[in-house]
Parts: sequence; structure tokens; C-alpha cells
Amino acid sequence: MMSKSRMDAPRVKQAVVKTALVAVLSVSAGACVQLSAPEKPIEINLNINIRQEVLVRLEKDVQELVDKNPGVF
Amino acid sequence: MKSRIKIAAVIGIVLAAVAGDGVAAQTDASASLRASGSVGEQYDGYLGVVGDANANIRDQVSAINIKRRAFYTELARQRGATIQEVAVATACDLLRRKVGQGDYYKLPDGEWRKRDGDISLPSYCG
Repeated sequence: MMSKSRMDAPRVKQAVVKTALVAVLSVSAGACVQLSAPEKPIEINLNINIRQEVLVRLEKDVQELVDKNPGVF
Repeated sequence: MKSRIKIAAVIGIVLAAVAGDGVAAQTDASASLRASGSVGEQYDGYLGVVGDANANIRDQVSAINIKRRAFYTELARQRGATIQEVAVATACDLLRRKVGQGDYYKLPDGEWRKRDGDISLPSYCG
């Protein structure tokens, strides 16, 4: 049994336009956007926050810490 | 009476030997892990696992890192430094003196490297 088609002339035109629009947008979007991942992951040290003079001051202390605690260091 | 003393002495010697073995095994834990090829020294002052490693290795690494952090915390408190500063300073020393040829280490760029010759230390190590 054939029902009355919902695809009359104006609707067909709408459908064609919509399809064309989607097609155009897809192609243009595909052509314009290019993402490439960096070759090597970048390590961002968000929380390395040290004072040079403190490291200098600690030098002997940490040597002692290491020498006195074999196994841990 | 004499034989009892002898027996006690023998037992005492055996216990001392066993205890000594236990201590000796513990004192090389970090060095053993570094030499295993599964564990490396990190620029942040802690041991890290290189690639896949079994649960036993991971547990040992965790246990050592917890101890290290405790030492860092205490020294930081004593010296008016941050825990991170103590940890990083220690890492510089470990990279210099403890990472052997063929051992793994990690610098701030995040890559595991195998020591072959000198280590190129970060500039803040001095």
C-alpha cells in the first residue's frame, strides 16, 4: 500500500539544500583543520620551584644524608 | 654447665650471623634496584620504575620513596628549605655519586636515560 509521500517539491528542495550544505561544510572543515601531535611529549614542570642559593647551602647536608643512609639512597 | 655455655654461644653466633645478613641485604636496596635495570634515579629525588616492573619491585620503590620523603621533610625543617629543594639537591648528589654506568636516570625532560659516561646535570645542580 503506498502512502502519500512526504517528499513533495518544497521538501525535496530543502533536503537537497541541507545535504549540500552539510557536504560543503564537511569538506571545508576537513580541508582547513589540521592537527598534529608533537613528536615528543613535552614535560611541563608546573611545580619545580627551587631557589639556587638554597641548593648551594644544602649541598653538604644532602651529601651527609646520602652517606648516612645507605639503602635508602 | 660448660656445654650449656657452649650451646648458648653457638646459638648467639648463629643469630648474629643471620641478623647481620638481614642488615647487609637492606643496606644495598637502592643500589640493587638501580643495578637491576628496572629502577632509576629521578631529578626530583625519588626512585622511578623504568617500563614495566613486577609488584615486588614497585613495592620496594614505594617503600624507599616514603623513607626518602621523611628524610627530606626533616632536613627541610632543620634548614629552612622546602621539601622539594632538599629533594632536588639530593637528586643532584645521587646523580653525581650514586648512578653507576649502565644505571637509568631521568632529567627534567622526562626521558629515561642509561648512563654511559658523564651525566649532563641540570644547571641548578651547580
